[in-house]
Amino acid sequence: MGSSSSSIDNIPNAQEIMQETGFSAAHLLRLYERFQFLDRDQTGKLRPEDFGALRELAMNPIGDRIIGAFFSPGQETVDFPSFVRILAHFRPTDSNRTREGPQQEPANSRTRKLKFAFQLYDQDRDGKISRAELLQVLRAMLGLQVTEEQLQSIAERAIQEADLDKDDAISFDEFRKSLEKVNIEHKMSIRFLR
Amino acid sequence: MPSRTGSRSPAGLVKSLPERGLLLLMVLVLLEGTVLTLGAASSPDINHQENLGNDQEANKVTNHTKKAFPVLSLDYHHIQTPFEISLWVLLASLMKLGFHLIPRLSGIVPESCLLIVVGLLVGGLIKLAGENVPPVLDSRLFFLCLLPPIILDAGYFLPIRPFMENLGTILMFAVVGTLWNAFFIGGLLYAVCQIQPANPSDLHTLELLPCLLFGSIISAVDPVAVLAVFEEIHINELLHILVFGESLLNDAVTVVLYHLFEEYAGVGTVTVMDGFLGVISFLVVALGGVLVGAIYGILAAFTSRFTSHTRVIEPLFVFVYSYMAYLSAEMFHLSGIMALIACGAVMRPYVEANISHKSHTTIKYFLKMWSSVSETLIFIFLGVATVDGPHSWNWTFVTVTVILCLVARVIGVVGLTYIINKFRIVKLTTKDQFIVAYGGLRGAIAFSLGFLLDKDQFPMRKMFLTAIITVIFFTVFVQGMTIKPLVELLAVKKKQEAKRSINEEIHTQFLDHLLTGIEDICGHYGHHHWKDKLNRFNKKYVKKCLIAGERSKEPQLIAFYHKMEMKQAIELVESGGGVKLPSAVPSTVSMQNIQPKKIPPAKSVERALPQLPKGREEEIRKILRSNLQKTRQRLRSYNRHTLVVDPYEDGLGDLLLKKQKMIELEKKIKEMSNYLTVPAAPPDSPTMCRARLASGKDTDFKPAQQQKGNKICPDPQAYSVKPANDSVPTIQVDLASPQSPDSVNVMDEFRRANQEEEDQGLMMRPPHGQSGPNKSGEADGTRDQQKLMRCLSDPGPSADEEEDEPFLP
Repeated sequence: MGSSSSSIDNIPNAQEIMQETGFSAAHLLRLYERFQFLDRDQTGKLRPEDFGALRELAMNPIGDRIIGAFFSPGQETVDFPSFVRILAHFRPTDSNRTREGPQQEPANSRTRKLKFAFQLYDQDRDGKISRAELLQVLRAMLGLQVTEEQLQSIAERAIQEADLDKDDAISFDEFRKSLEKVNIEHKMSIRFLR
Repeated sequence: MPSRTGSRSPAGLVKSLPERGLLLLMVLVLLEGTVLTLGAASSPDINHQENLGNDQEANKVTNHTKKAFPVLSLDYHHIQTPFEISLWVLLASLMKLGFHLIPRLSGIVPESCLLIVVGLLVGGLIKLAGENVPPVLDSRLFFLCLLPPIILDAGYFLPIRPFMENLGTILMFAVVGTLWNAFFIGGLLYAVCQIQPANPSDLHTLELLPCLLFGSIISAVDPVAVLAVFEEIHINELLHILVFGESLLNDAVTVVLYHLFEEYAGVGTVTVMDGFLGVISFLVVALGGVLVGAIYGILAAFTSRFTSHTRVIEPLFVFVYSYMAYLSAEMFHLSGIMALIACGAVMRPYVEANISHKSHTTIKYFLKMWSSVSETLIFIFLGVATVDGPHSWNWTFVTVTVILCLVARVIGVVGLTYIINKFRIVKLTTKDQFIVAYGGLRGAIAFSLGFLLDKDQFPMRKMFLTAIITVIFFTVFVQGMTIKPLVELLAVKKKQEAKRSINEEIHTQFLDHLLTGIEDICGHYGHHHWKDKLNRFNKKYVKKCLIAGERSKEPQLIAFYHKMEMKQAIELVESGGGVKLPSAVPSTVSMQNIQPKKIPPAKSVERALPQLPKGREEEIRKILRSNLQKTRQRLRSYNRHTLVVDPYEDGLGDLLLKKQKMIELEKKIKEMSNYLTVPAAPPDSPTMCRARLASGKDTDFKPAQQQKGNKICPDPQAYSVKPANDSVPTIQVDLASPQSPDSVNVMDEFRRANQEEEDQGLMMRPPHGQSGPNKSGEADGTRDQQKLMRCLSDPGPSADEEEDEPFLP
């Protein structure tokens, strides 16, 4: 872990980040330590190679997509506030939250979580998951064990099931509808980030 | 015995059924009673005969006391035990049938209550008849025969995912909750007994340890009762798995506590050392049970890898291995229930990948059947055992027990939930807590454990049994009956009935990967991390050993997809093929994709006729589908060792066969097309007759017109000609037509194929002629002949007209 013992004061803009994302001070500290650990050359920013150094992430079929999600389009590096903002999506949902603060929905609401997952599918950011994009994901997940035809038929069936307006692509609403029975608040939360 | 046809009107049904049921019971009991006495009467003769036989070997027949030769004799003892067992099982099943004929009753009262009442009735009747009530709820019978099927059914079909996700919560409730219950109830009972002033039934002689023992017996939530009640209320998956999981896992705690207190109740003291040993014993019992179960599960999975040639005995392996796991665990006084659960859960994914579809169905139905019968019998026996006694009613003891049970449960659940919620992502609400607390039903396991107590060591045994039965009755009747309205009242989330879609499956897997990745980035070895590791290990090593052949490499998503497609295919065929197929027909060449909608011949048709209209396509599909249906009913010879061939496994074989046939026919057609330019034959040959026939109509030999104009049959000579063999495909002699022969022939192929398979063809079936060596000559003749015959016999259904339209240029 990090060499220096850091306290919450070492983190720049700690208070704003805490307010924006809802993390507690202890969690923010832990995330900062992790950030420093990942940041090999101590530049204060992360590059894709830093993520790539994680062995298990390299074995993950969608690892490169996840890494890509941290970097906004066009940017080469990730600083700590952006890092935390992305991870805030995975905080467990607070059930009885009052609508205080800005009107914007909190990062860990169900819709925001789904939006994050949707963007991982939709790499070209046109708001729809096209058949090609779905095929790419399937290919990544299933690897070389299946034939191209099987992939095609699965993708075909998936789109048939989900596509309600028959535009041969899955929009965000259709995506959300197809997952309405899945407990997203549970599935997309990490207990660590409480 | 009165038959169970029942009258048509519901009112008549309701009125007559209880009467009938009672009548049935009376008859059964009286039958048994009379038969018993008869048996007793006939036995002296048998003994007498035996004695004589021993003395005199040589002439035992002649030196006998002279009796008329018994034409018809009654020997009840010979078959007594199996007969009585069968009678009980039959009674249980008939009762189950009967309850569902009275829908209003089964809506209000849960089945378990009704069954207990039936048991009470039967016990009462037997007692009235003067007979000794048989000790039916014998502990050995219960633990070795009646309990395992229910637990195996639960374990095999346990939903692993929600179980594992909530494992921490379940363990908390099971272990800590049961311990709390046991000590709370036992301790307070002891206190209450001590406080009692000079009570005639000398309660204050009750020691602490027997009280604690009683507490541990009564505190365990019973899986049988929970299953019986919860199955009817359909609450959401989370609550179901919490209560049910708790009832399964608390067996280990119960076993340890029971043995611990039983051991030391005689001695009178329990030291800290004993307590410590108890904890170790608990770990051994629980983990040992799981280990034993897992070993047997792996053995079963491994065995199922080699059963591809003896499909018939596949279900047997599942049952026998599981039962042996249970017995082995019981042998070492480990937790048999946990062994069964572990065995079922471990073996299921691998066994299901290996066994045939039929075996899977068999296993499912046998398990459901056995567990259903077991459950019914258990409740009936509970009723009978209640009547039997022995009872010793003590108001104080019993009422305090009941109250303490409720109070302990509520406090335990609330307290534990408070602690658990600190660690859960999705917290348990008050409603959830209420259902969990209210769902803590006690059942037959408690009774059997009480029954096992030694009479001498525990003089208060009768009182214990009475109290246990009262608690069981209270929980099953009061809580069981009221839980359904309460669930409605509190608007607890119900189970979602919908099927899982492929989208959900894909996205769930995607999210799993996503969360694993995020956990890696955070450096947090959480839930997903370990699950991912386990999956990788499973894929790399375990699946290769335990799953036969190609299926071991199949990823889970593909397996799910195949299952879905298979289900859809079965539905399609069973619905009679009248369903409109979805427009997208992607091609697959995969070996395991058996789907009637992906028909290879249809593809070849589409290739040949790109402008095939939709109606035509439907027609083709209908024909082919009906072919598939017919082949399904074709039986091969029956042999004990091989079942009727499973069409969905050999469906691929059929499809390949069809494809081959089609290819052969296509080849033949290609050969035929070479004969299009055959020189003119002599006038008497059939060919000339055809030509004459053709020339009798318009010069352009348009088949459409011939079809439509089927009233015209100018050439009488044509009738007398013997038709050629049907198996030869025919070609239109259509020199002027620009049509490619392929299109025509393909249609003929289908007619051909249709005719061969179906007995009622589209047209009258001409008798088989000789298989003509000059195929070309007779080939074209046959089609005309058939057309003529059609024009004679068949008024020409509209389908035919439709068929021919595309032929027009």
